[in-house]
Amino acid sequence: MIKKILFIFFILMGWQAAQAQVAVIAHKAVPVDQISSAELLDFYTGDIKLWGNDEAVIVFDLKPKGEVKEVFYKYLGKSPSRMKSVWMKKLLSGEGDPPESMKTEKELLEKVMETPGSIGFVAEDKVTDDVKVLAVITREEG
Amino acid sequence: MRNLIKIIYIHLLAICCSTSGLLGQAKETPLRIFGYFQVNFTQETGTSAGSESTNSFNMQQLNLLFQKNLAKNWSAFVNMEALNNFSSSKEWGAFNLEEAWVKYRGSKQFNLKLGLMIPEFNHLNTIKNRMPLLPYIIRPVVYENSFEDIIDLDSYLPRRAFAQAYGFIPSGRWKFDYAVYLGNSPNINDRSALGQTGVDTTDVFMTGGRLGFRYKEWRMGWSATYDRTNEFGEVNLFFQRPPRFFNERPRLRTGTDFFLRWKRLSWESETIAVNYDEGDERFDVDRLFYYATLGFQASDALFMYYTYWGTEDEFVFVDAQPGIIPVFDLYQGTLKIFVPSLGFSYGLNDRITLKGQFSWVDISSDDEFFKVDFRQNVLSLAISAFF
Amino acid sequence: MKKFIFFGILSFLIIISSNVCAQSGEKPLRIFGYFQNEFSHFAGNAVHNDTRNTFNLQQMNVFFQKNISLKWSAFVNFEMVNNFSSSKQWGSAKLEEAWVKYDFGKAATLRAGLQIPTFNNLNAIKNRTPLLPYVVRPIVYEASFEEVVTLEEFVPGRAFLQLYGFMPIGKYKKFDYAVYLGNSPNINNFSTRGQTGVDTTNTFLVGGRVGLRVGDLKMGVSGTMDKTNLFTRITNFFNVPSLEPFEKRDRFRVGADLSFQNDMFMFEAEYIDVSYEEYSSDGLNANVIDRLEGFELDLAFYYATLGFYVKEPLLVYGTYWRSRTIEPYFLDLQRGFVDERERLNVPGFGFSYQLSDRVRLKAQYARVNVNVDIGGNMIKVDNTSNFYSAAASVFF
Repeated sequence: MIKKILFIFFILMGWQAAQAQVAVIAHKAVPVDQISSAELLDFYTGDIKLWGNDEAVIVFDLKPKGEVKEVFYKYLGKSPSRMKSVWMKKLLSGEGDPPESMKTEKELLEKVMETPGSIGFVAEDKVTDDVKVLAVITREEG
Repeated sequence: MRNLIKIIYIHLLAICCSTSGLLGQAKETPLRIFGYFQVNFTQETGTSAGSESTNSFNMQQLNLLFQKNLAKNWSAFVNMEALNNFSSSKEWGAFNLEEAWVKYRGSKQFNLKLGLMIPEFNHLNTIKNRMPLLPYIIRPVVYENSFEDIIDLDSYLPRRAFAQAYGFIPSGRWKFDYAVYLGNSPNINDRSALGQTGVDTTDVFMTGGRLGFRYKEWRMGWSATYDRTNEFGEVNLFFQRPPRFFNERPRLRTGTDFFLRWKRLSWESETIAVNYDEGDERFDVDRLFYYATLGFQASDALFMYYTYWGTEDEFVFVDAQPGIIPVFDLYQGTLKIFVPSLGFSYGLNDRITLKGQFSWVDISSDDEFFKVDFRQNVLSLAISAFF
Repeated sequence: MKKFIFFGILSFLIIISSNVCAQSGEKPLRIFGYFQNEFSHFAGNAVHNDTRNTFNLQQMNVFFQKNISLKWSAFVNFEMVNNFSSSKQWGSAKLEEAWVKYDFGKAATLRAGLQIPTFNNLNAIKNRTPLLPYVVRPIVYEASFEEVVTLEEFVPGRAFLQLYGFMPIGKYKKFDYAVYLGNSPNINNFSTRGQTGVDTTNTFLVGGRVGLRVGDLKMGVSGTMDKTNLFTRITNFFNVPSLEPFEKRDRFRVGADLSFQNDMFMFEAEYIDVSYEEYSSDGLNANVIDRLEGFELDLAFYYATLGFYVKEPLLVYGTYWRSRTIEPYFLDLQRGFVDERERLNVPGFGFSYQLSDRVRLKAQYARVNVNVDIGGNMIKVDNTSNFYSAAASVFF
């Protein structure tokens, strides 16, 4: 009986995880409405520092490890530690600053809301109308 | 002793475990940049034959410090020092990287420093270059970095080490201090063909440490270092010993320090003895240094003192006669320097200190071949600023 | 042509400089840096039996960085190596970089000022010790060896103007480019004519790199061309009427790089070849040309490193460097020159452990084999030594 309950519990958990979605959000005034994973990677590695309208791209990161961060970095195709070494290289080469890390998704959402040219990521269910959603990442099953 | 080993062992384990804290970047603080400088005016008045009078303004010392807390128990520190109106274009003074270390703060019993550092030796060594902390314009001579061009400071003191464990063990109102460290021997650049300048080219180390105790306003300690030096290598030209006989001769430096404060009075003193195992009875080049300062805290801002310091350096003078078979005479002597001083420091505010010092310098040697009798009065005024 | 380049650059700088005032985005000056302390043990070899232990503050860098406006930023880099102390004449202290940068966008960035130019993969980041797993870097990039290896013969150490950027050529594919201008190696050649540290001839260093990035894979080819007076010293041995045939001789450096990095593996490899046109036959008589037979200088270097991330912060790697130097070995006026061929083979392995974002621990073993052959077996030296080193790199 216990085994059956555990089995159902894990199935439910797995189903929930499969549904976990992360939204790539940006300030309302950014000049794009959607973004590809390659463009997103260029922003987060600091290869591209300006939007099309010559406004600075300001990227935000999430400090605590968790599902949202994991899904986002998997989408970028780099682990958080690999990204850290990329940022370190940019910093030490005078080519850019590492992104500012926010302690919570709420804080990150507010920061994106109030910072022109900014971009970040939060769980889709936390998104409000005050930011623009550029992409929705669905966690791959398994 | 066993307890100490246990403490060190436990803390080494803790260092390994504390990496999770480091990874989390807890307690990281912004880089702090600060420093201090001391500018002085010195008037020397000759009072013996051969002793001239001079005046000089001097940007005596400037230190620039960088400090950052990297994590809860870890911090980094860098100290750069410019001396004597430093100018590379004019080849004046010097610019040195004095410290660049990372520290693990385990507890009061155990701290670990790794990297270039000034090790614990007596009372003054680690704080000798912190000008705003000291009342002196001219520090007790072996601690006076601006004299590096004229005095072999490194032979008296360990000025660099690369790994140090230190801390204190409280026992009631008593505190027992300890420090042990490891560094390079003095044989830097001895075989420069093998490598770069600034690195030890032999396989020996400098080891050292200090043991001390504190009770209220009373503090005393014993320090020692042991290393091996190649500085007598050239002597073999005269002594005809086997090759490398004079290489890596042992050197033992021992020191004592004592500090006491009673009401408005304070007393601090140190001795340093440098003993070489020269390996040959025909010469002896040991050294001795001592100083004592009696201070009086006249008010919160004004500190007045009387200090005297002295050195006794044994030296050997070789008088070689030209010829196919070397003929030479050895003259063994002692050079004595004795300097009593009166001085004051006045803290204008938290950042600026004014200082004054008057010294009677007496340098003498009774050796018949190398007779010295040099006397001079030195008046110094200085301003020390912490920025 | 030179005037055209000069005035073109000047006009361009004047035009874009108007943006400095027009745009906001100025940020406070940021100061940061890093240092690496090492302990190394040299286990001796057949020639030098003596073993050696040394602690060394191998390198310390302090950076000043400021975003002047949205598109302009400035960067300054001071470097000290080998327990630097001017009073003891240990090590050295240098101003390595001081440049201002203008971002046109992803396609182009212009840097003006003293800088380390792009050459292969490692040159521009060679002195960023916290980024590198090595205690001792591949030898031509090891700043602390400057006193014992002529590093700047292999790679360009300084440039003063550089245009670089990338162009996307597909998803995760980018074409990189960099072109730069700097001084020729003829610094202080005529010290009576000028200050120390400046080029005293009218030649330039020009160089660049083109590369391709495909996901985590990076590759490129680099080249520099300049003119050197290095060979004028040879005229001491020959009664030649003029220095001219040995002055401003062409030097070409060619490089290729390949690197790959993902979360499990890293691989990097480079090749550098340096060739010289040692002298011009014009203006030399047949007798001198005869005696110059064997007067040749040629350098080559390559390295490859394969690393494996055992666990996220722990990288273990194996590395191999090889350098080859062919230089003239002077016999005497009658017999002229023969080749001195020196080969350095350095296999090694090591690890680096990222204790935190700020502290990196490193250890390395290297087996250094030096093989010297003068005049085709006339003199032969074959020496192998073992080096062990450990280091901590701290970013503050």
